[in-house]
Amino acid sequence: MSFITSYCHLTNESCLVNGQHIAGRDSESTDSWLKQLYKKQEIVYPKFYKMDMLSQTGFILTELLKKANPKLANAYQDDEIALLFANRFSSVDSDVRFQRSYQQTSPSPALFVYTLPNIVLGELAIYNKWYGENMFAVLPKFAADFYVSYAEILLSAGSEASLCGWLDIADEQIHAFLFFVEKEGEGLAFNSENLQKLAGTI
Amino acid sequence: MIYIGAEEIISPLGDRAEQNFQAMLDNQSGISLVAEAGLNKLPVNLSKIADLDFQNPFESLLEQILISLLKKIDADIIRSDRTILLISSTKGAIENDISDQFGKSVRFLTDRFLLVNQPVVISNACISGVVAINAGANFVRAGLYDHAIVIGCDLISEFVLTGFQSLFAVSEKPCQPFDSERNGITLGEACSAVLVSNSRSVFRDMPLGLLKGTSANDANHISGPSRTGEGLFRTVRKTMQVNGISDQDIDFISAHGTATVYNDEMESIAFDRLNLTHVPLNSLKGYFGHTLGAAGVIETAVSMQMIRNNVLLKSLGFKQKGTSVALNIIEENIPAEVKTILKTASGFGGGNASLIIQKL
Amino acid sequence: MDQLKEDLKKHIIEQLNLEDIQVSDIADDTLLFNDEGLGLDSIDALELIVLLEKFYDIQVTKPEEGKEAFMSINTMADYISKRKAQQAV
Repeated sequence: MSFITSYCHLTNESCLVNGQHIAGRDSESTDSWLKQLYKKQEIVYPKFYKMDMLSQTGFILTELLKKANPKLANAYQDDEIALLFANRFSSVDSDVRFQRSYQQTSPSPALFVYTLPNIVLGELAIYNKWYGENMFAVLPKFAADFYVSYAEILLSAGSEASLCGWLDIADEQIHAFLFFVEKEGEGLAFNSENLQKLAGTI
Repeated sequence: MIYIGAEEIISPLGDRAEQNFQAMLDNQSGISLVAEAGLNKLPVNLSKIADLDFQNPFESLLEQILISLLKKIDADIIRSDRTILLISSTKGAIENDISDQFGKSVRFLTDRFLLVNQPVVISNACISGVVAINAGANFVRAGLYDHAIVIGCDLISEFVLTGFQSLFAVSEKPCQPFDSERNGITLGEACSAVLVSNSRSVFRDMPLGLLKGTSANDANHISGPSRTGEGLFRTVRKTMQVNGISDQDIDFISAHGTATVYNDEMESIAFDRLNLTHVPLNSLKGYFGHTLGAAGVIETAVSMQMIRNNVLLKSLGFKQKGTSVALNIIEENIPAEVKTILKTASGFGGGNASLIIQKL
Repeated sequence: MDQLKEDLKKHIIEQLNLEDIQVSDIADDTLLFNDEGLGLDSIDALELIVLLEKFYDIQVTKPEEGKEAFMSINTMADYISKRKAQQAV
């Protein structure tokens, strides 16, 4: 049995870590919400600006989780953290942007490379030097069962922890929920009921 | 023991696995020059399936492959609550609906075949197929299901072709994996399926054994391979270690071999680090092109046919060593006892995955 | 030539999403693809090709041409001038 040792939520308006509200979107700012969060974290990683919304969301939320739970950053070997993510509509946001680029002007290679949902896993792996297991799935809605069953499979097959995410970005609407599962730690038992409860209404 | 079998293939070379394999034994390729297909309406080499259903080609292929696969097994299992369907694809039915690339097809299959469990779409770039087969095996091994039907399917679309052309990644010639003159991919479309099961009796013909598989990220670049082949090295090493397979045990490697300068070079470096440069190896992309989400499944299916037919298929498109480390590229079809095969895949997002199949 | 370089810097910043970088941050001889320079990567190189077509009507058919041409603002400006001169003929 494993434990959900930290989690966070992101919508278009607010960001919560372990259930606590930590930031709200400043509607006066000219910066995008994700950019506001990035600046607030005081990370310096210019590649952030090249990422699409899906990758920026995954990146920011992972950084927030690392702050909330330093074990995510320090306690594991470079291939022990499995990345298990899913959403409803794949990389649709970037797909539409790329399509627009070739229909209206000329195809943008920088947009094309984000037209796959698993790219966010690549961005997390690059920044954190994580060489472990990866999977990105597309499901009709958030399915606690899927995460519970597959993360446990990964944890019994060589991974020691799993960073899991539901990154639903479509029509520029963000519904994101990231959570960290460890074999030992303080937190709710990792089962479907608890996970669904923490996920809330995503 | 986890079994794998009932492999089926729909490609430009035919709509059954055996038909495809026969064509490949005759050195046929699905690649041809298609007029006006590319940017600025120039001709492009593509591996295109003729006579695709023009209204819903994606779901029509999925339906067709399932019908073929079901003929090779106890068809009742499709309606069982102990069966899960996994679909490996990168862009699904994007040309039908960019805002819902998979949903409609998944719902269609669920209704058409009375599926009990929600199918899972795996969208992990070019490693999706191998990841999906491994996931199917993992689900079955964990006792969550008894059977996993794994389908890999991707279509050529203006979207994808335009994208790869914007990366200057498409060759003007049919692709030449591992060759010194290689200069890019040839896009292909295909649909392939396999059954993974804990029960031997559901297969009408002899299944093969599917060992544990793994994946690993390069942690290097989102679209370029690691120069040291780190992710590929790690996944193959893990897969070999967890199964107790040594570099002397592998009879054949079905490599990823996309025919870009960097990918094939990266693979040669990784295989060198793994002491696998002596193992007979091919890329099947000279026959099918790069079929993206279908690649891992269709290439595994062909590798299974190689085991069944005791033949090592030549690496179509290869003439001359083109990587800094020499690999044992199969240059002509060779009759050989093929018992243990390694399938690898690498893809955008830094993903790498591998699996091993054995004759029982 | 100075205006060309100035405009080039502006286009690069915009096209490549180089936030927090001003025109004044890019010296004419800054090595664009060096980590100590602008730290551009292979995808950025392809976007520079798109940029040349979009703003200067110059087609680069082989990405390898870009390697030499895109080393710095100076080399890019030289490349643009040369190609434009060829086109004028």
